[in-house]
Amino acid sequence: MNTTRRSHKLLAMTAASALVFAACGSDDDASTTTDGEASTGTDAEAPVETDGEAPAETDGEAPAETDAPAETDGEAAAGSDGGTLIWAHEQEPGDLHLDDPENNLSITSWIRSAMIEGLFGISGATEYYPELLADDGELTTNDDGSVTGTFTMRDGLLWSDGDDLTADDVVWTYNTIMAADGETEDGDPNYIYLLGDRTGLDTITDISADGNTISITWSSFFAGYKGVLNEVYPMHQFNADPAAAAAELNDGLREWTAPDGSTIASSGPMIFDSWEKGVQMNLVRNDAYSGSNSPDAKNNGVAFVDGVQINFVTDTDAQINALQAGEAQIVMTQPQLAFEDLASSDDFTVASSAGPVFEHWGLNLNNVHLAKPGVREGLAFAMDKTEVMAGLYTPLFGDSLPAEGLGNTMWLSNQSTYENHSGDAGYGAGDIASAQAALEGAGYNLNGDNVYEHPEDGVLTLRVGTTGGNRLREIQQELIQAQMSDAGIDIVIDNVEGGAYFSEVPFSADAIACATSGGAEGNCDIWDITQFAWVGGPWPGGQVASYRAGGPNNPYGFANDAFEVKADECDATVDDAERAACYNEIDRYVTTLELDAENGLFMLPLTQKPSFYGFTSDLSQAGVAPDAQGAGPLTNVADFQFAS
Amino acid sequence: MCVTVSQNLVLVYTSTDRSVATLFAYVTRRVLISVPLLVIAMYLVHVGVSATVDPRSDFYLCLPRCQEGFDSITETYALDTNIFLRPFTYFASLFSGDGLGFSSSVGEPVGEVMRTRGWNTAMVAIPAFLLGAILSLLLSVYSARRQYSFGDYFFTSLSFIGFAMPSFVLALIIQVIFGVKLEEWFGIKPFNTGRKTGENFWELLRDITLPAVSLAILGIAADSRFGRSSMLETLNQDYIRTARAKGLTERTVVWKHALRNGLIPLVTLWALGFSALLSGSVVTESIFSWPGIGQTFLRALGDSDLDLLMAIVMFTGVLTVVFNLIADVLYGVLDPRIRLG
Repeated sequence: MNTTRRSHKLLAMTAASALVFAACGSDDDASTTTDGEASTGTDAEAPVETDGEAPAETDGEAPAETDAPAETDGEAAAGSDGGTLIWAHEQEPGDLHLDDPENNLSITSWIRSAMIEGLFGISGATEYYPELLADDGELTTNDDGSVTGTFTMRDGLLWSDGDDLTADDVVWTYNTIMAADGETEDGDPNYIYLLGDRTGLDTITDISADGNTISITWSSFFAGYKGVLNEVYPMHQFNADPAAAAAELNDGLREWTAPDGSTIASSGPMIFDSWEKGVQMNLVRNDAYSGSNSPDAKNNGVAFVDGVQINFVTDTDAQINALQAGEAQIVMTQPQLAFEDLASSDDFTVASSAGPVFEHWGLNLNNVHLAKPGVREGLAFAMDKTEVMAGLYTPLFGDSLPAEGLGNTMWLSNQSTYENHSGDAGYGAGDIASAQAALEGAGYNLNGDNVYEHPEDGVLTLRVGTTGGNRLREIQQELIQAQMSDAGIDIVIDNVEGGAYFSEVPFSADAIACATSGGAEGNCDIWDITQFAWVGGPWPGGQVASYRAGGPNNPYGFANDAFEVKADECDATVDDAERAACYNEIDRYVTTLELDAENGLFMLPLTQKPSFYGFTSDLSQAGVAPDAQGAGPLTNVADFQFAS
Repeated sequence: MCVTVSQNLVLVYTSTDRSVATLFAYVTRRVLISVPLLVIAMYLVHVGVSATVDPRSDFYLCLPRCQEGFDSITETYALDTNIFLRPFTYFASLFSGDGLGFSSSVGEPVGEVMRTRGWNTAMVAIPAFLLGAILSLLLSVYSARRQYSFGDYFFTSLSFIGFAMPSFVLALIIQVIFGVKLEEWFGIKPFNTGRKTGENFWELLRDITLPAVSLAILGIAADSRFGRSSMLETLNQDYIRTARAKGLTERTVVWKHALRNGLIPLVTLWALGFSALLSGSVVTESIFSWPGIGQTFLRALGDSDLDLLMAIVMFTGVLTVVFNLIADVLYGVLDPRIRLG
């Protein structure tokens, strides 16, 4: 009896285990060629209509999903026209009002990039190119120091509903964004249109349209002028009065609906169609599209695909599963490990591009150790960014990013203006001997635990903190921690879970008080080293602002009069190349000791994060997006094309 | 003689005096007790969430250029108020006509979000519950009647695996096998890997099946174990022996006499389980991209959407109270000796 029971147990356990093992079966099967059904959703499947909650249809002039795309530049791969491109993505915007301070998600800008264009766009090289403009325009410095830009719109531009897209739309957009209803308690204009940052717009003293030409005058030169008015809205669908229009836009942009209930007209290759919150959003082709001016675009006509369906799939593994099940044709997600299986399959293509996000370590100059230049150099020398890159990104990024990591905080490695300042100084290469020499030069000696110790300031132990829960970043910290240990620097990882790290640690009131007072006030012991990511762009104005002395965005305690003067000079330099060189020069204050031997080198740029895309091989041509600031998978949506 | 089962529930072996008035009084008392409990819970959750999330976190890095947006959010969430006083601002807004507020993460009024997402969750939760309840009941009876048989060991093993397996692993396994591999292996694709297409009933069925099965399996693993134990205990009771001695068929003994008593522990589990299912499953809904309460909760947490978080907590609390109450009432229905005290 007992034997029988044991055999029953054994048999049952074996059967159950077999089921589990079967369920966890080898992923090798993923490379098995699937049949043509994997392309579900590509043929003649128009974006799915949703229930009544979706924004209303367009006014009937919306393009039908029939005509073949027009003119291309001949470089397009052979493929068929039509089909719906399905993109599975984890993030969903709260609404489509990108300028609402509560909605600054990347996904919002990525979606909008397919629907609305502006004066200038951003290319894959993270540089501006004229988007609605015919060329870069001309800048003239006036006698009173103001600067006037004269810009010409491209000929024949149309909104998706057939109306002309003109310079008047540009002027109206500006007036709407700047419309105010009285003043705030502080005496500032009480702007109606929701926008968190009006830098560059608020110094415009005059804007006017004359035919196809726009004239904009700034009170003084604004280096980021190409970034203003990066989206232009259709005046004909809104109130002509800017104040009324601002309120209408605040409401309408959320669901992409004009006051009359129609869809807001597009100037980009796609038109908003419908949105079922939590499930999917649908875009359809804009057959009135004038074609992309992007230097990256292969198709200069209307999009090949009939439309785009964005499925909101929150789990990374589920996105990959959706791709493998033929329920999506493109995914772009983190971590990149998820793509390794895909990369080994003939059914999928994995591509990477240099992302706009870069990680860096910021150093607290009011820390007793970090106040010594030798300690900061010790950190910089001991860090081996090549190892970090190889450990985290090499398997998939290929040569899209420099193997030696990032060496600049103003420019990204894929920008033509990039210079590797850290590398030029010999930093970031795991040079232990130089690191130890720098530390010993600063008065430190190795103690019995092989950690450097200062006779007065004690053991060289430094905390590095960031927002916890980001595994990729944590691995990066652990790698560097080990590198520092080799050099005799004790690094303690001190992350804070949740989104409160920055507000409670480096940017807390006490920490900022310490930084702005040179250590006289506040609390200088809240943090030592902070790690976080910035988004780079074609104008590094944000970085420069955060390095300026005494600002609430400068927790490092860096203050240098020469830097301030030079930064002002950079911001005022009209010539693009000269301005870029100028920013490179002031970056050397930040990333080296060349220009400020006492307070320089308070930022250690680490790595630029690549972006990964996975495609089904049904796509004969994929518009691998230049993942520049504000760009995303739909940036070159007109290029996507299904195989024949 | 009585045995206390829970704080408010008393087994009285001698009394059968249950009236509608008693039931009403009991329900009213429980509801009244629940209100302050819910308020305290919401207060603590509000303070806890406020202490750990900062809706302005993205703005610190662009100050002072984005001061306007920073100030706007500060005002919206009363972030310049003491953290322990902020919940009162929220409670005041609840009764000031603003209702549950506006969800910044979804971009809709919170009431509307709760309605649509709650319905979506129910679309999966109800079939998952029914499937789980029926199968766990059948497995409980089967295992109890055939204790130590091959089938009993087999289902016991499966239950333990179900117990031990994290829900996200189970969900992913089901998704891979039935959503991806079936097509590779057999050329058929009966189910979608996730998402609510809503195109038609059959498509919806393809969407719902995998998340519902995934949730049901988790419930079956636990419930069938408890049900088996309860049924075994009941089947060894004297009155069951008496029933058999009277010559009743085994089917009548089991399904009519034993099952009612054996069901009592399962009722508690079902009530709590069903309220949990209706509150949304964060993991399963996320993996199957199901736009329900669980997924919405995760999103609200990530986006520091205080109003929505509070509404979901309130919703979950109310469901828990209501289903506990239903379970208590059902005890009396299943066993007439139980009186609500």
